[in-house]
Amino acid sequence: MAAAAVTAATRGNGAGGGRAGAGEASGSRKKKGPGPLATAYLVIYNVVMTAGWLVIAVGLVRAYLAKGSYHSLYYSIEKPLKFFQTGALLEILHCAIGIVPSSVVLTSFQVMSRVFLIWAVTHSVKEVQSEDSVLLFVVAWTITEIIRYSFYTFSLLNHLPYLIKWARYTLFIVLYPMGVSGELLTVYAALPFVRQAGLYSISLPNKYNFSFDYYTFLILMMISYIPIFPQLYFHMIHQRRKVLSHTEEHKKFE
Amino acid sequence: MSIQKPHLQGTPALEGGCPPSSEFCGRLLGGSVWGSFIFSWAMAVGPLGLHLHRSRQCQGRHGLLSSTAAEFDRASPAQSTSRGEVEILDAKTREKLCFLDKVEPQATIAEIKNLFTKSHPQWYPARQSLRLDPKGKSLKDEDVLQKLPVGTTATLYFRDLGAQISWVTVFLTEYAGPLFIYLLFYFRVPFIYGHKYDFTSSRHTVVHLACICHSFHYIKRLLETLFVHRFSHGTMPLRNIFKNCTYYWGFAAWMAYYINHPLYTPPTYGAQQVKLALAIFVICQLGNFSIHMALRDLRPAGSKTRKIPYPTKNPFTWLFLLVSCPNYTYEVGSWIGFAIMTQCLPVALFSLVGFTQMTIWAKGKHRSYLKEFRDYPPLRMPIIPFLL
Repeated sequence: MAAAAVTAATRGNGAGGGRAGAGEASGSRKKKGPGPLATAYLVIYNVVMTAGWLVIAVGLVRAYLAKGSYHSLYYSIEKPLKFFQTGALLEILHCAIGIVPSSVVLTSFQVMSRVFLIWAVTHSVKEVQSEDSVLLFVVAWTITEIIRYSFYTFSLLNHLPYLIKWARYTLFIVLYPMGVSGELLTVYAALPFVRQAGLYSISLPNKYNFSFDYYTFLILMMISYIPIFPQLYFHMIHQRRKVLSHTEEHKKFE
Repeated sequence: MSIQKPHLQGTPALEGGCPPSSEFCGRLLGGSVWGSFIFSWAMAVGPLGLHLHRSRQCQGRHGLLSSTAAEFDRASPAQSTSRGEVEILDAKTREKLCFLDKVEPQATIAEIKNLFTKSHPQWYPARQSLRLDPKGKSLKDEDVLQKLPVGTTATLYFRDLGAQISWVTVFLTEYAGPLFIYLLFYFRVPFIYGHKYDFTSSRHTVVHLACICHSFHYIKRLLETLFVHRFSHGTMPLRNIFKNCTYYWGFAAWMAYYINHPLYTPPTYGAQQVKLALAIFVICQLGNFSIHMALRDLRPAGSKTRKIPYPTKNPFTWLFLLVSCPNYTYEVGSWIGFAIMTQCLPVALFSLVGFTQMTIWAKGKHRSYLKEFRDYPPLRMPIIPFLL
């Protein structure tokens, strides 16, 4: 869901990093877009993020070639993954200060769910780091993010190649379920270790008269995917129809 | 309707201390609370609630409610027509829904809504939004047809506000819940804690005290809803009741679970902490009640004047000197007191969430005061003196 949520055009028409929107269909309102300084900053941000995720992609490939197997590749890209995924927190800030016309709440939800998976699950429960499910969501995220950030970069520069737009609105069909599966399997794998270690849990009695069971929390989180995933997925499908058909029409008139 | 309702208000006037044994205290409290709850519930949500709702519809604005900016009368003098005609179109589809002829020019929007309901009974007046422009603001019930900028045939656009529910009903439901739910935990009904704890009583005085405070807080709110508050808007969208009740009932259950837990840990600083916190709680409850009464007296029943609230002889109202919405200030204070008294993190979190919401409301209210009154006292802040 963290995967899909980020791919999903819950961020309006899709240019989350910068909504010049010029590459979009002529039918939509011309959006004002951020000022020149903000645009420059956002371009730099999106370029850096694209590069970062490319580093992760390359890292994965190289590690695979070196090891000869696809198991336990997480360790080779652990640091850049943590760095660049956590860096996405800036996107919440972008929405908050208004240089990106997305909902702060929605963006927070999307970024936080990713950050949660990276730190509160994969990093915290060392035993799951060698699971194959980790590779599943890392690959899904990597491909998604490379396309997404380059999409934003091009949009900001008012020169969006159709291929990127197509990729953004098509590959999710496979990547989203792939990412969600990876996430769910990873959380599921972490459960016994959380239970055993009493990770992030506090029980009564204590002087704050409060208790929290991380194990139950994770289970509830997994259950929450059931209503949320289909909604986001079908929203993206709907967006795809709108965006890609619009461009078709636009092309016809050229 | 986008009225923001103040969720946390109310202060119960606390009764005296506990009878000798805490068990007896608990049972007496339980009995009287149950009794008053069931009584007021039966009274309220039945015809009385409806009656109150109707009789209140025309009454003045509740000082606490509505963060909408002041709306001045639309006094544009339209041509005076002897008998008007009104056509009502759907705001989205422009479909002609209703045509009323022979409408008195002095007719109010409320009357037109009633006429419209006759031809479309599923759209009772509370769910109608009539406006001059499809994308414009809703006309008020009190607006007179003659005074609107319309020609011989007035064209009004209709938007369905969705199923509505009366404010009184919502308030009563959302406040009765916590009252009842807390007691379930207090009396440790089966299936909450382990079976060996069923119907047992806590050995900590503070737990009984907390139950008294919590219960009186919500009884006070219920009574204020019935007898004190004057609601400017009669209804709100139906889905709000689910949202509001989830919030109130959910938090009440969460807090009550820990406070009444067999493994509850009393406050670190003992009786001293409890006494201080109780004092804060009582003072703030009295303060909150004083503000509610002051706001009620601000506008006599039926009139529409908006006035700046000022301190009265009651010292608790002197907070008006520093703050626009002292009722919210006192409410936050009450919950902080309760949190200190119980030393329970969920209570602190509940206070924090409530504070956040009330701050948003207070800022809105403050803004509309400033907009409406040139001479609004400059020293006043929305909710926290000098700070916020």
